[in-house]
Amino acid sequence: MKKHVLGLLVTAALSTSALSALAATPADQLVVGMSMNNVLTLDPAAMSGRESTGIVVNIYDTLIQLDPIERTKVNPGLAESWNVADDGTITFNLREGATFNSGNPVTAEDVVWSIKRNIGLGLVGAGVWSSFGYTKDNVDQHIKADGNTITVTLPQPSDPNLILYIFGKPDAASVLDKKTVLENETNGDMGAAWLTTNAAGSGPFTLTNWAANDILMLQRAENYWGGPAPMKRIIFRHMPESQTKRLMLERGDLDIALALSVPDINALSTNKDVVVQATPSAGFYFLAVSMKDERFQKEDVRLALRNLIDYQGINQTIMPNYGIMHLRPVSPGVLGSLPNPDYKLDAAKAKEYLAKAGYADGFPVKLLSLNEAPFIDIATSIQGTLAQAGIKADIVTGTGNQVYGPMRERKFELIVGRGGGGQEPHPHSNLRALVINPNNSDDAGLSGVIGWRTSFFSEELNTMAQQALVERDKEKQKKLYEDIQYKYEELVPALQPISAAVDTVVFRSDIQNYQNHYGWTTRLHDVDKAR
Amino acid sequence: MRRGLEAMMISNAGILRTRFGTGLSLVASILVTLFGLLALTFVIGRVMPVDPVLAIIGDEANQETYNRVYQQLGLDQPIYVQFFRYVSDMVQGNFGVAILTGKPVIDDIIRVFPATVELATLAIIFGAGVGIPLGVYAATKRDRLADHIIRFLTLIGYSTPVFWLGLIGLILFYAKLGWSGGTGRVEIYYTGIVQPITGFLLIDSAITGEWDVFWSAARNIWLPAVILGTSSMAYISRMTRSFMLEQLSQEYVITARIKGLSARQVVWRHAFLNIRVQLVTIVALAYGSLLEGAVLIETVFSWPGFGAYLTSNLMIGDMNAVMACVLLVGILFIGLNLLSDILYRVFDPRTRS
Repeated sequence: MKKHVLGLLVTAALSTSALSALAATPADQLVVGMSMNNVLTLDPAAMSGRESTGIVVNIYDTLIQLDPIERTKVNPGLAESWNVADDGTITFNLREGATFNSGNPVTAEDVVWSIKRNIGLGLVGAGVWSSFGYTKDNVDQHIKADGNTITVTLPQPSDPNLILYIFGKPDAASVLDKKTVLENETNGDMGAAWLTTNAAGSGPFTLTNWAANDILMLQRAENYWGGPAPMKRIIFRHMPESQTKRLMLERGDLDIALALSVPDINALSTNKDVVVQATPSAGFYFLAVSMKDERFQKEDVRLALRNLIDYQGINQTIMPNYGIMHLRPVSPGVLGSLPNPDYKLDAAKAKEYLAKAGYADGFPVKLLSLNEAPFIDIATSIQGTLAQAGIKADIVTGTGNQVYGPMRERKFELIVGRGGGGQEPHPHSNLRALVINPNNSDDAGLSGVIGWRTSFFSEELNTMAQQALVERDKEKQKKLYEDIQYKYEELVPALQPISAAVDTVVFRSDIQNYQNHYGWTTRLHDVDKAR
Repeated sequence: MRRGLEAMMISNAGILRTRFGTGLSLVASILVTLFGLLALTFVIGRVMPVDPVLAIIGDEANQETYNRVYQQLGLDQPIYVQFFRYVSDMVQGNFGVAILTGKPVIDDIIRVFPATVELATLAIIFGAGVGIPLGVYAATKRDRLADHIIRFLTLIGYSTPVFWLGLIGLILFYAKLGWSGGTGRVEIYYTGIVQPITGFLLIDSAITGEWDVFWSAARNIWLPAVILGTSSMAYISRMTRSFMLEQLSQEYVITARIKGLSARQVVWRHAFLNIRVQLVTIVALAYGSLLEGAVLIETVFSWPGFGAYLTSNLMIGDMNAVMACVLLVGILFIGLNLLSDILYRVFDPRTRS
């Protein structure tokens, strides 16, 4: 008997091993591994961050789509065509025959209602609209539906191209099925509660199942206007641990792994079964000071700091697969982007500046950093180089809001952070986050603006940025954006970009047409498997 | 936090034991304990430098949005008002909605807790099933080679980080040998086939006759359960050994030997029966700490369990969810203490007065 049982067990073990040795993802399903800790809602108007955006963009459509590679190229979405008039008016012509997953037709009225809803809720997406002057009170006047067209006018002087790009951002301009949403409204919330965990879009996939921090499944929409996607199902699986993702990718149980740690990416880069795709992303890694601190108000101290960062060392040793060296506040690849200045670590020069400012012996300072790579490594490098000029930096680490919280309240000294716009392919997107500071008073409460957080304020730069934004002549506009960057450098800003962020995704080599998007809107409609 | 809680529960168990006769004071003392636990957790949660608003709206949102969400969460109220509101809602069975999932906290717990119970139960079965015999054996072979080997191995088992063991286990049994199905409760393609009945996937898939899912779940659970059980096993076997040694040096053991009983009878019939009471406490506590959720193992194995849920909510400062979890852990420990009290009475005739 005993032998019999043992025999059975051995057979069972062997057969299971044979089964799992064959394990590979099915040909018509795509399995994506990522941390879903930050996926808190699927309501486009309320979501923030890359993971939620990456899911929502596949459930909802926008009028246009921003090309993932050519940054200034705009592709059609629900709008078949559009026109930007000389006076800045944008007219979209809606595609005929597009339907929501509910079967309801997509109408211009749905588009306009969705944007009004977004602005009315006043959540994350509304911030984008308000920064261009669209408010609850004036939206009816500036965004109108007429038959099959949508007309958009500018509430304040701006570059209409930039407004056009916003119609490709799912957090601001996803098109919702008005009828379905209103059917699920509770207490006049415009469907906010329901849409947190449900969806009403017209995208290439529909939401079938979501268990937070576990699994999220999308099913192909058979009647999608762009034709049904090759993949029948997309499965997003919560995998917070990079090593786990790597193992499952190596075994073929995972098709795509997002946000792997750099050591794992490096290890995978020699594996022929996978492809490592690094693409420029939005935002910068930077060192910022608070100009409320009297030491950093002195230009000489800021100049000293400029000479106390080992830009080359950080970018060559810490940043591969996180970012590439970029020392100016406009993303690479957009209008007016400039080559790097020749900054380098020069402790002797820094000491001269410090002496001039009256800090010949340096000073102690608190340096905030997230407690994760690469932030903490950058902070450690900077701590070392600051010490060469006698500045004793005490690194204080924490999680996201422990670090950014004090910065938002302007209560910090030094910080290594990441941010700075760039989800729209326009220099203004960066300048709005980093350079423009409309009101430097504490009461202004512009905590979403990194420039304001550092208390860096230049009336001249504000004016130049506004001039550049409304300039319609491309060449002149380019020149203006270049001038702004030179001026910014001359004023010795409170924030020094070190690297432009890079996103690295690793996927199985049989995956085709996967293109990571710099603005987090990675569309999976065309993704296929070569089998 | 866990150690503190355990200490509190153990001392509380003492109180419970002395007042066991009066049901009313028992209930009162449980309520006071739970209330204290809640109040403490709430205060700690609110003074923690974690801002749930930023978790919701992202770092670059504007102040207007911030203020709106801040108000929606009721954070503009004084802390005691927030606490009072929370407790009064809770008493009415409303634990609030979790920020992380957008669903009622209670629904979330119903989803994540069985995943942990399933894992912890298998882990403790392994831990106690292997640990107790090993401990007894080591005690009978005191200071001989077998004893040294067992002590050495259990020391390693106890002091090796489970996180590391988990990764090594995955590399060996999943990536190299293919004996494990990988991470998650079930292999990806079997997800969503079995709808939860009890919430225990092994049981649900067996009930519905989905044997493919059952085997997939079994392939996925054994590795994390064994690894999680390893540290319990090490702890239990070391404790068993020392309890046994104490018994084996007693005079009744010598008497039994002189009487001519076999070594086996002496060890299992006499000495072992006398350490049952202590073992129950040890195993119950070990089980309790497994039920709290093993955050690290749940992270490595992408296990959608209670520990991971509690930790993610702590990270974003969502007190609705954290408080409900803490309350559950409190009730669990009290329950386990009561259970071990009852088992004391069963095993130890002296307590049956």
